[in-house]
Amino acid sequence: MSATTFGWLILAFPLVGAIVIGLGFRVLPGRSAGAIGTASIGAAFVCSVGALIGLLDHPVEERQLADTLYDYAGAAGIPFELGILVDPLSIFMALVVTGVSTMIHLYSFAYMGGDAGYRRFFAYLNFFVFSMLLLVLAGNYALLIVGWAFVGYASYALISFWYRRDTATRAGMKAFVINVVGDIGLVFAAILLIQQLGATEYLAVFEAAPEAFETNEWTIVAICLLLLVGAFAKSAQIPFHTWLPDAMEGPTPVSALIHAATMVTAGVYLIARSFPLFELAPTAADIGAFVGLATLIIAATIALVVTDLKRIIAYSTMSQIGYMVVGVSIGAYSAGLFHLMTHAFFKALLFMAAGSIIAAMAANQNIDRMGGFRKALPWTCGLLIIGALALSGFPGTSGFFSKDEILAFAAERGGMYWIFAIGGYLAAILTAFYSFRIVFRVVYGEPCKEAKELEGGHLAHAEPENPATGEPEDTDVGFPGPDHWIAERAFPMKAAMTVLGVGALFAGFVQVPGVTEVITHFLEGTFEDSTVENSVEVSEKVAYIGLLVGGLCAFLGIGAAFYLYIVAPGSTLRLRDRAHGVHDFLFHKWYFDELLDALVYRPAIALGRFANDTVERVVVQGIVRGASGGVGGLSATVRTAQSGFVRFYALLVVAGLAGLGAYFLIVSG
Amino acid sequence: MSLLSLAQTVTNFEAPDVDYAALSPAIALTVGLVIVLAAGVIGPRGNRWLSSGLTLLTLAITAGLLIWRLGEPDAEIIAGALGVDGLSITIALMCVVAAAFVVPLQLRDVAAEEAGFGESHALLLGSVLGMLLLAEAQNLITFFIALELLSIPLYVLCGSHRIRGSSLESGLKYLIIGSLGSATLLYGMAFIYGGSGATDFDAIAAGIGTDLADDPLILIGIALCAVGLAFKVSVAPFHQWTPDVYEGAPTPITSFMAVATKAAAFAVFARFFIVALGPSVDQWQPALAALAAISIIVGNVGALGQDSLKRLLGYSGVAQAGYILVGLLVATEEGVSAMVFYLAAYTIMNLAAFAVIAVRERETPFGDDIESVQGLGRDRPALAWPLTIAMLALAGLPGTAGFMGKLFLIESSVGGDYTWLGVMIVIGSMISLAYYLRVISAIWMRPAPQLAPAIAGASPDAHGAFHAGDGSSREDREDRPRPSGPVLAGRALRGGPSGGRCSLVVGATIIAAAATIVFGIAPSPLVDFAENAGSSIVEMVGQVGQTG
Amino acid sequence: MLSTILWLPLAVGLVGFMLPKRLVGAWALLGSVGSLVLAIALVAGFDGASGALQESVSDSWIPDLGVRYELGVDGLSVFMVLLTSILWTASILWSAFAHPDRARNYFFMLAVGQTAALGAFMAQDLLLFVLFFDLMLIPFYFLIGGWGTGDRIRATIKMIVFTLVGSLLMLVAAIATAVLSSDAAGGLTFSLEALRQVPLEDGSQYWIFCFFALAFLVKMPAFLVHGWMPDAYRAAPLPVLVLLSGVLSKVGAYGFLRVVIPLFPDASIHFQELMMIIAVASIVYGSIMAFTQTNVRLIAGYSSVAQLGFITLGIFSLRPDGGDGAVIQMFNHGLVVAAVLFVIAILYERSETEDIREMGGLAQRAPVLAILFVIVTMATLAIPGSANFVGEFFILTGAFESKVALALIASVGIALAAFYALRMYQRTMHNRLPAGMVSREITLREGAVLVPLVGCIVALAFYPGLITTRGEVSVERSLASLEEPETVAQR
Repeated sequence: MSATTFGWLILAFPLVGAIVIGLGFRVLPGRSAGAIGTASIGAAFVCSVGALIGLLDHPVEERQLADTLYDYAGAAGIPFELGILVDPLSIFMALVVTGVSTMIHLYSFAYMGGDAGYRRFFAYLNFFVFSMLLLVLAGNYALLIVGWAFVGYASYALISFWYRRDTATRAGMKAFVINVVGDIGLVFAAILLIQQLGATEYLAVFEAAPEAFETNEWTIVAICLLLLVGAFAKSAQIPFHTWLPDAMEGPTPVSALIHAATMVTAGVYLIARSFPLFELAPTAADIGAFVGLATLIIAATIALVVTDLKRIIAYSTMSQIGYMVVGVSIGAYSAGLFHLMTHAFFKALLFMAAGSIIAAMAANQNIDRMGGFRKALPWTCGLLIIGALALSGFPGTSGFFSKDEILAFAAERGGMYWIFAIGGYLAAILTAFYSFRIVFRVVYGEPCKEAKELEGGHLAHAEPENPATGEPEDTDVGFPGPDHWIAERAFPMKAAMTVLGVGALFAGFVQVPGVTEVITHFLEGTFEDSTVENSVEVSEKVAYIGLLVGGLCAFLGIGAAFYLYIVAPGSTLRLRDRAHGVHDFLFHKWYFDELLDALVYRPAIALGRFANDTVERVVVQGIVRGASGGVGGLSATVRTAQSGFVRFYALLVVAGLAGLGAYFLIVSG
Repeated sequence: MSLLSLAQTVTNFEAPDVDYAALSPAIALTVGLVIVLAAGVIGPRGNRWLSSGLTLLTLAITAGLLIWRLGEPDAEIIAGALGVDGLSITIALMCVVAAAFVVPLQLRDVAAEEAGFGESHALLLGSVLGMLLLAEAQNLITFFIALELLSIPLYVLCGSHRIRGSSLESGLKYLIIGSLGSATLLYGMAFIYGGSGATDFDAIAAGIGTDLADDPLILIGIALCAVGLAFKVSVAPFHQWTPDVYEGAPTPITSFMAVATKAAAFAVFARFFIVALGPSVDQWQPALAALAAISIIVGNVGALGQDSLKRLLGYSGVAQAGYILVGLLVATEEGVSAMVFYLAAYTIMNLAAFAVIAVRERETPFGDDIESVQGLGRDRPALAWPLTIAMLALAGLPGTAGFMGKLFLIESSVGGDYTWLGVMIVIGSMISLAYYLRVISAIWMRPAPQLAPAIAGASPDAHGAFHAGDGSSREDREDRPRPSGPVLAGRALRGGPSGGRCSLVVGATIIAAAATIVFGIAPSPLVDFAENAGSSIVEMVGQVGQTG
Repeated sequence: MLSTILWLPLAVGLVGFMLPKRLVGAWALLGSVGSLVLAIALVAGFDGASGALQESVSDSWIPDLGVRYELGVDGLSVFMVLLTSILWTASILWSAFAHPDRARNYFFMLAVGQTAALGAFMAQDLLLFVLFFDLMLIPFYFLIGGWGTGDRIRATIKMIVFTLVGSLLMLVAAIATAVLSSDAAGGLTFSLEALRQVPLEDGSQYWIFCFFALAFLVKMPAFLVHGWMPDAYRAAPLPVLVLLSGVLSKVGAYGFLRVVIPLFPDASIHFQELMMIIAVASIVYGSIMAFTQTNVRLIAGYSSVAQLGFITLGIFSLRPDGGDGAVIQMFNHGLVVAAVLFVIAILYERSETEDIREMGGLAQRAPVLAILFVIVTMATLAIPGSANFVGEFFILTGAFESKVALALIASVGIALAAFYALRMYQRTMHNRLPAGMVSREITLREGAVLVPLVGCIVALAFYPGLITTRGEVSVERSLASLEEPETVAQR
């Protein structure tokens, strides 16, 4: 089969899976839904591999295969086809997505076992994977938007999966609306492309763009900025990031899959995909890079103080995506995507470990309450540490290579791009610190109540309640239901985590400076005619210096964490008291939520109240009242004139007669 | 010029000819009148049926003769004092039909009973005769005589319900105001005769010619005539007798007045102004336009919030007169055709409405109050539908003759460069919806008042809400009937409740309603009818052109 | 063919008067299904390639006024005919189950309404169009007033007077059009095809345009003239509201494409900005109102205001893409709003309230209902991948090309739509189940109405090209008279 056929199959399997589970939710027995879901994603992964092989048959410059199923809605000069593009980039993404998804489905197979909404969960999850694959495989911007929005819906559905919690539903709403704002950006970008080039199909657009646009001409800059709006909304970059931490209301596997490994990286994919446009609009690209930098630093600082386990990881996700955005924006496409891949591994791993721990804590996510799980959960803790090492870029781990490749590229490109290298390394210290803050707080230290129970062989079972608000709830909708699952006691979870752990540790070695360059070579099929990336040749010297610095940063951060949490426990409290201003500022997440609330939400509500009380009541109904009132007044006068007295009538007659007579006398010659 | 016209009249006097064939409808009416009157004298036994039958027979014969004349060429009777043409025959037919419709209404009517059927029917026929002649009048003298012949019997009929104060009051009021109107008209005629030196319409036109068109004498005459005629067709601000008289008079008479008088008066109005006063059309057109506009507004706003259905229809009559006047004043063939068409439509829809009111007056203690038709849709569909259709038609909603009528009127107004009057017409219709729909709501959407005896088995919460809503029950509590029944109601009740025996009326009503719909969907036959009337006017004007 | 489709419902309604009460509903259903089948046959037999009128019928009606009984369908109207038949079938099906009292009258009025609506979409004679346009109102007056809830009588009178204000003025305008162009056309004619050959000169075009525009905007309803809408939406029985909001509102938009733009090109260009501003105002205002309302009916009502605003925006971009978007969006909105309203009816039967603050948690025992509702919701907020998105995308493209700023403002409506649509879904289906509220799964009867509708929505989402490709040609045809405004101006 040809690569494109595989491409369609990649899409087909998850969709079929979603439909089967969705329609069969009444009849599917036990955990068969989970099995079907996992299997279909696995099949999609196999197909991706198939597509990969099919692609490798072609010579490098012919590795961009477009294929159209049918003309979806094209008319009136607007192209809108149901077409895919199979090229190294899309297949790379498809591999990452399907691969990680398979693991996470496997994990969920056990983890969600006790949940009343088991089948619903897998239907949603499969639908998400389908949407994500549609997003990465789409052959034109119109279809990209479709996948983009479907992903948004899937994320909404999974965030508010436990829909009895109004915290969850509100978070879902927030995520969806912010994503729609992103969609609008994409829509207008597409409209501009249609207006300027009359095409949305990638290859056609990239073909025509260089002739159509001057470099930095306002239209192309506008297009790229609109694309960035979409990218930022989806990838939780500032200022569109506030939905991501709230999204942690969803089940932990969801956080792992959607809000760490795949969906949130869509923005990175979009920028990389549209690189020919961005290279025509360097201004836009630089703006993107700076936003990425700001995000990666700000998020890292917030992650230092947040106490909710999953939210810490969420902020680290933001920060890591910041790295990727910086990468693809400054032209380090393959480096950015490389980091995307490694990050998918170790971040998914971290979330899985966190899920296992939260299960052990019976849904409590506050790290202040945790501690000393190393005996109770040896396996989980081991993998948690692996994930943390990779995240903090500990030498040899995957994160070590991928992150540094981006920063080295920035340094090599030089000029103002040094800023990114410096900022990146500073943030790396913070990253290492907060990731080991988790480790030291959760794994080491005085075992907490739940840890002790678990060592005694009993898994904690708190009354089901909403971890965010603490209000009680029934188990049919809520945290995994009556029985919780931890990696130590569920083989599928163990297996999934192991695979990802391996990935997190060793995935870095596919691309070691001067040794191997698998990713870069493979992606050349897409990026071969990039002017920027090919112009910058990272010399081994710079690369190794970069690695060195990166390693140092990791050690610094880990060391600091070690000192504060192990050597001198409690010193953090003193620190907090001394600099409580800073702490509050960070603890309130730089007041972004409050800002959005004041700038967008309140004005909208006020406007609504104004429309309701003033415009509707006074103006609109006023028109009605005014008209009817006027008529009513007239009729009153007419009826009073109808006194019933003949003399009065006669008087009026005379008056009328006089009037007519006067008129006729006037017109008479 | 005036000399010449004088000469013409002289020559006419030399050769007086009477076309008896053309006169035959009038003769038939006269004979029938005498017979009915005579029959009225033969003791009280059975004269209800006898006189009614005779009256209908007379009307039938007259109608037959009229239709026969329709085929014949136009003719002048009695030296051009009267003329038979499309217009006159059309209008005469309308009046005859109206009268024929009224007879069955009279059958159970208390007023007619008291006055004696012979007398009231004779008066009715007399009035019809007046209308017939008025429609044919082509000369100031016949014009005036016919007008009086039309009016005087009506004065009497209005007052015929003797033991009811309001009836007498209305009769008297009508008499006084009517005389005032006639006087004004007569005065105006004097002026015009003085100005043009002629009494025949065409001669007047010739007399006025071009040089007297804006002569003050003539124009004052025109003003006075306009006022006098405005009375008869009840155009505001000379309408005020209308609601009172309509309310007071016995309902059958009201219905007859409402339609027939208007038709005949408009016929002569058109003939007199377009033919005789044609030369000074530019002078009187704006004045009539103003009258029409005022009348549309006053009539429609006046009808709002009227609880008495007869008053309501009275005001609506004023408004309709305004619409019709528009057709007249543009003084084109289309205009006159539109006018005649609308008159015809107006006749059938009003007759239907009044008939239903008359029936309900006898069935319920509410008289002609709007409560008397509440819940009709549930209890008496046979009455509810005709009234509904009549109301929709009067409001000029599509699918009814009323819509077509408005269509033609608007078309003629636009064609005659009076687009703003077309706009006035639709604005009027919008306002009118408010009260017509009020009636329809009463019929279909409100529960029958509990006190009403005729209405059994109408459950109060019968309607609405097969979905959401506690609303309907609250609704019902709101419209409990007001403490019911003016005095007359009780007495009216003695005459009824005679729902079963009204079947004749109901039948007639349904026919009228059906006609309203039919002409709304397939207007063409009525249109031809009307056009032939319009063309006859134009012909007359044309002849004037030649003679003048 | 067309005449059959047109008069079948009325005939069915009349026959209904002779049937026993029990059978009337079933009989009406039979009739509506029949007309639906015919409509589908019509669409199937429709030649998408040609923009010209098809299945044309032309007979003399009122020769004295040059009014002819002219029917015909093209890409603009054929899907409106289909929509009308679909929604009427759904509404009659629902009502037949509900057993309204005075059933004969009820179904007769529905039948009259269907004939009138179909007539408005098929008419190719200006006066015939106006006549059907006005006629539509009467049955709805009776339906809402007779079977509605709450303060229905006031609501109906308000609605009918309000809407007739426009349409009666339109009557004058229509007659004026014919009379004023009678010399150029050689005699009085109301045939749209004949009239578009002889455009009026600017002066009269302008005021005539205003009268028509007023009529159509009120019917939609658009911002500032929607005063009748809230009362009517509160009072109307839901199956009737489905038709009011699903079909009748479209006639206005349709009228712009069918009558106004071809006949009054200069005026359309002259008032383009004004109309687009009104459209955008409707979008923004409708959306804002929709997310402040707590009554589900009003949420649906104001969202329609916004949706119709989009359609108007597309039409008055005066470009094929915008117009084509409007054409498909008319169909979409009809389907979607109908589904929403039926869902509201279903929710009401479970929660006994129409206030979202008192609802919640209904998804618990009703997953199927939840799935259907979520599909409908997503279609309402025009999620990419739904046919509604295609519509809005085309419309925005058109608007963007002609007036960038307005297109950008309009996009606010999309974001707000996401908010209010989702809000309605969440507040009713999600969160805690209020005490005393029962979460029941959708019943067979409800499913029989809702599932097919949702099916249509999904099916169309897979191939919107069905409409866009067929609409394109006809839209271009109706925009054709804009081509040479100068030469027109000289006339």
